[in-house]
Amino acid sequence: MEVRVGIPRALVYYEYYPMWKAFFEELGVRVVLSDKTTKPILNDGINCSVDEACLPVKLFHGHVVNLKDKVDYLFIPRLKSVAKGEYICPKFCGLPEMIKYSIKGLPPIIDTEVNLRKTRSQLAHAFKEVGQVFTNNRKEISKAYEKALHEHDTFIQEVRKGKYPTEIIEGQKMLRKHNGDLCIALIGHVYNIYDRHMSMDIIAKLHQEGIKVITPEFLSDDVIQHKTDLLPKKMFWTFGERLMGAVLHLLDRKDIDGIIYLMSFGCGIDALVSDLCERKVRRETNIPFSLLTLDEHSGEAGFNTRLEAFIDMIRWRKRNESNISAHG
Amino acid sequence: MNTFYLGIDVGSVSTNLVLLDEHANVYKKLYVRTQGQPIKSLKEALAMLKQTVKTDFRIGGVGTTGSGRQLASVMVGADVVKNEITAHAVAALNHCPDARTILEIGGQDSKIIIIREGIVYDFAMNTVCAAGTGSFLDRQAARLNIPIEAFGSYALQSKSSVRIAGRCAVFAESDMIHKQQTGQNIEDIINGLCEALVRNYLNNLGKGKEIKDSILFQGGVAANVGIVAAFEREFGKKVMIPEHFDVMGALGAAILAKEEVKKTGTTHFYGFELVNREYKAKSFECQDCSNRCEVIEILSNGEPVARWGDRCGKWSGLTKEQSETSA
Repeated sequence: MEVRVGIPRALVYYEYYPMWKAFFEELGVRVVLSDKTTKPILNDGINCSVDEACLPVKLFHGHVVNLKDKVDYLFIPRLKSVAKGEYICPKFCGLPEMIKYSIKGLPPIIDTEVNLRKTRSQLAHAFKEVGQVFTNNRKEISKAYEKALHEHDTFIQEVRKGKYPTEIIEGQKMLRKHNGDLCIALIGHVYNIYDRHMSMDIIAKLHQEGIKVITPEFLSDDVIQHKTDLLPKKMFWTFGERLMGAVLHLLDRKDIDGIIYLMSFGCGIDALVSDLCERKVRRETNIPFSLLTLDEHSGEAGFNTRLEAFIDMIRWRKRNESNISAHG
Repeated sequence: MNTFYLGIDVGSVSTNLVLLDEHANVYKKLYVRTQGQPIKSLKEALAMLKQTVKTDFRIGGVGTTGSGRQLASVMVGADVVKNEITAHAVAALNHCPDARTILEIGGQDSKIIIIREGIVYDFAMNTVCAAGTGSFLDRQAARLNIPIEAFGSYALQSKSSVRIAGRCAVFAESDMIHKQQTGQNIEDIINGLCEALVRNYLNNLGKGKEIKDSILFQGGVAANVGIVAAFEREFGKKVMIPEHFDVMGALGAAILAKEEVKKTGTTHFYGFELVNREYKAKSFECQDCSNRCEVIEILSNGEPVARWGDRCGKWSGLTKEQSETSA
């Protein structure tokens, strides 16, 4: 019988799933995903995780619960660093432990360490380690690794062209109205903005209003890098770097009518980066900016009110700019 | 016959109605407590309003706002359903065209709206936490056995300042109790609370915003003279309280309804007979997929008139068609 590896549909799933999937499938391993986020999944996550964790990490726990009885292994790599000289959020380093000690009755966890802080070549070692769980054939592993890298590149290229990760990975249909009068940049971690349940479907809501949406993932690495290089100090969090770089880049563009920063309550990186972004936006431009905070609440009223008011404000401002009185 | 425009603001703490005449003057206003029952309180308020107007009149248009705006809209047949921020700004600008800062503190929400050149330029609204809003003051007044109406005047009698932690309502309460147990004056403690609330409001919402004249303070909490004084001390500037500060949301909704009907020519208002209809809200968890959405269904005389809360649009779409055919 095929070996089944479970991947929770949460956190960096939105960034690395195509790569992981290609690797496992090339080795003849079946990949099983947890279900899409639902209220019961979130509830399970909240119930079994430590109280101090942020909401996305709690949700990850819920996805593990959803998956654990359907698979032979769980794939929860210990991500320390995914880019040279940078770190990822500290909660990702401890994620395998958090899961192990919070949830009972788990299948074996593949918790290989990924640490590319010093050199990118560590990635090959990490994949080799993962591959060896299933085979001793080094050739096969390295072939699967090549395939994984290739899939990742293809995926990233598609995203940079303006496709949402969920459109590519899940075949989600996103209706874009092309007659949109506004363009809003939605800034936030991949797992906050693309999880439809957690984001209260913000992208669809904006589309419905006839608004074009730009996310940090649409921007090339060079654009991001170029902007963050100008910062007085290196941003050592990979996530923060992309968000900050995106905002800095968007400030130069003339086609952005507003910026929404979507953060989850209890995120240490967002606490700093969102504020840094807000200051930049407010000091250097007059682009409307709004910070929306996600938490466990499922009542959408407050969220929708803020979103509606923000859109109203932008339209009101635009209308005003375009009909300047002829009488001084 | 007079034509009036009806503005309805169904908030967490109060349900407010405003009747606006053709010249955008407030003809009548009503402020009743929602008490957790928006349907009942709205019906009662409408019945009361109808009774108090002695002259012959018709309703030219209806606008709803507040956190219960959707609910109110399906009950009355609204022409405009608007978020509170826009409604408050519209009302404030109508009252004072050169307003540049609007402070609004209501039952559960607090907001700051920055106006530049007569339009909303920026705004902020409290996030998940309701510390420093009207309900918290209400609770403290009840705990101290002081009528909320007199709460602010206690603060004005304070002689020396007491610092109360304002970051969180729970902390503030325990801080107040500690201070009270060590023998501090109740007036000083209440004043300390007013200052804490203002400090918290400005730290949370005012952060990075330039507070320029004229400053308007509206929402139920503007009735609290202690808070008003604390704001003025903080800014070193005069804070204006509009005449209809307690119903500004409803006023804004009425103004927006008036403008809307000017465009469309007709109103969708169901008429005051609606108070005799029986409205019920029912909620159920949809079992059709794993999302398990909490669907709310509004029944009018047993007939569903609106549904919402579903993610897929299956339930809400159903009634949209129905209401379109019935309209």
